[in-house]
Amino acid sequence: MTKRKLALAAATLVIAAAAAVLALGTSPGSAKTASAFKAAWIYVGPHNDGGWSQAHDAGRLAVQNALGSKVQTTYKENIAVGSQFDQTVSSLRSQGYKLIFATSYGYVTPAIAAKYPDVKFEQATGTLVAKNVSEYFGAAEDTIYLSGMAAGAAAKCNTIGYVVAYPIPEVIRHANAFALGAQLTHPGIKVRLVWTNSWYDPPKEKRAAQSLHGAGACALGQNVDSPSTGQYAQSVGIPWVGYDSDASKFAPKSWLTASVYNWGEYYLKRVEAAMSGTWKPGFYYGTIADGFTKLAPYGPNVSAKTKGLIAAKQKVLAVNRGAEFTGPLYDQSGKLRIPAGKKMSVNQLYAMSWLVKGVIGSPKG
Amino acid sequence: MRFTIERRLEQPRWLAVAVPIGSLLFALVVAGVVLLVTGHDPISTYRQLFDAAFISSGALDQTLIAATPLAFTGLAAAAAFRMRLFNIGAEGQLYMGAIVGAAAGLYFGGRGGPSAFVIAAMVVAGCLGGMAWGSIPGVLRAFLGTSEILTSLMLNYVAAYILTYLIFQSESYWRQTTGFNAKVFPTGKPLPPDAIWPSWTLNAQGGIGIPLGALLAVLVAVVLWVLYRRMRFGFEVQVLGDSDGAARYAGVRTRRKILAVMAISGAIAGLGGVSQDGDFRHALDGDPNGLQKQAYGYTGIVVAALARYNPFACLVVAFLLGGLNNAGNALQGADFPSGLVGVIEGIILFSALGGELLVRHRVRISRTAHAPAATEPAQ
Repeated sequence: MTKRKLALAAATLVIAAAAAVLALGTSPGSAKTASAFKAAWIYVGPHNDGGWSQAHDAGRLAVQNALGSKVQTTYKENIAVGSQFDQTVSSLRSQGYKLIFATSYGYVTPAIAAKYPDVKFEQATGTLVAKNVSEYFGAAEDTIYLSGMAAGAAAKCNTIGYVVAYPIPEVIRHANAFALGAQLTHPGIKVRLVWTNSWYDPPKEKRAAQSLHGAGACALGQNVDSPSTGQYAQSVGIPWVGYDSDASKFAPKSWLTASVYNWGEYYLKRVEAAMSGTWKPGFYYGTIADGFTKLAPYGPNVSAKTKGLIAAKQKVLAVNRGAEFTGPLYDQSGKLRIPAGKKMSVNQLYAMSWLVKGVIGSPKG
Repeated sequence: MRFTIERRLEQPRWLAVAVPIGSLLFALVVAGVVLLVTGHDPISTYRQLFDAAFISSGALDQTLIAATPLAFTGLAAAAAFRMRLFNIGAEGQLYMGAIVGAAAGLYFGGRGGPSAFVIAAMVVAGCLGGMAWGSIPGVLRAFLGTSEILTSLMLNYVAAYILTYLIFQSESYWRQTTGFNAKVFPTGKPLPPDAIWPSWTLNAQGGIGIPLGALLAVLVAVVLWVLYRRMRFGFEVQVLGDSDGAARYAGVRTRRKILAVMAISGAIAGLGGVSQDGDFRHALDGDPNGLQKQAYGYTGIVVAALARYNPFACLVVAFLLGGLNNAGNALQGADFPSGLVGVIEGIILFSALGGELLVRHRVRISRTAHAPAATEPAQ
């Protein structure tokens, strides 16, 4: 019995000692680079997802490289909307990160913004502008339209498959732009959608690609974050248009092109503004002319003729953002939604809840 | 040498304390090796973990937010598992509690009545939602002998689809439909102010909020303890869990117990769901990248197992796991991959659960029967 008590006492002592070491040694945050300005990025998926989050991380690294030791940047990946975002912000704040780029919609709510008044939030793709919240995004629909032209030209049959995340206006607008582009180079072509209800879910995206191919698609495109659609496309030998990042290395034979983002310039501007104390909340909508959105390098299956067509269209869009959404535009049922000559406004694009003629699928998921 | 694992006839009390502590130390050593190999300083990493979970400004506040749902799902699992009724469906029951509870909040809130009434209605509705969803596998098990493990698990997916459908794919009662923001991205309709649950702030660490849900979880633990330790119902449930045949012989009505226990378990999980609405999200969270990504229901199973189905231990374990969870977010970053955080958390949980084996079993080392002396090398 005494032996056991001794063992218990020893164990308790060890734990107590460990706790004491931990408790006494606590210091708020790390001591290194105390003078550096701290900025953090929050991602919905892994920082190296080959798509959306990777493009943002490239932007973060651009800031780090440009400002060197004057800034300290970090990221948090796979962060869920809600309590986990709150936890992450709280811990970042206690480590001195007062500028946070939340790179997906739904992270920053009015309640979160009010809970952390001393933190400057920047949120991608949203609309909540507040005292300490800025919103930023850009006309990816223009470059997605151009990438749709490449898909339409490369498709050898009458259906393209498009793997899509959530049935929300952002994705609906992108799917519409893709379809309009494809119809320009391949009149009458249909774009069939499969929703995954996730930004990043490689197995689900692959299954979606599989079912689209099974339903007769002879080219694939995507508005989700991983390159698994492309890997599937290459395995069945059909062309593929990616999204967000240059993911050609995942399926070099199938790769056509992709609409990609250059977040770095915006990030640099905002970090510098925060450092100099001139940061103000706002709403930024980048364009082709800004260099915010562009096409990734072409793969081997894009013909010279298609490249020429795309280049010509790109010039038009560079001076006339959103020109592809000029009427007449018809919805799936054939109803005229945008009359001839009218161009949709950014607010209209942000709330677009209908799919254009020639898209097969429901805008409700 | 031969190792055999045999059941302990009696479980000494000191083991129940020494084994978890030993397991934790073992885990820290193993995880320390992993950290060293990957080029991180174990001591400073552990210090950061501990800091972020319990010490630094706002840490306890966030740990409580993470722990509250785990306490509910842990208690839900413990209530059912004690009878060897393996309800894997706390996840879905939590969603259903969140859905029905939010409906009650939206319906009764904002009408000028007392806030306490609105909140009470939400609590009841949340329990009923979870209870109804938990009773489906309960009825199937009681009357058709279907495995509750499979049915409750499958219903999790159904509940998740319903939750997503209500916010993302329909103009339902729960969805915010007015205003420009609601058009851009689907969100739940915000609960009226009188349907938002109160929280009490402790003036430490820059404010530690004690959500109403955390207090309700403590209350549930007390009720469960009384029910299982002090009442005939609980005694019968435990006898059923230990020996089905003996219980039936003694005249325990198995079918009723199955129905009752699944209903109780579901109700507790449902309460966890409505606490998410009232305490934290202030709307129904239908985002697949939100509530559904947290997997509180599944983590609850780990909580119950570590707590050995003891309701009060469930609270403690939920608090510790909540801290671990919270600290994991703080730890990961550009210089610390989130995968490594997962590995460390996994090692800790794995050793803790593995250590449980030693409480109930002993490892006997015996020499093999044939000529032990001859095979021994010379000293």
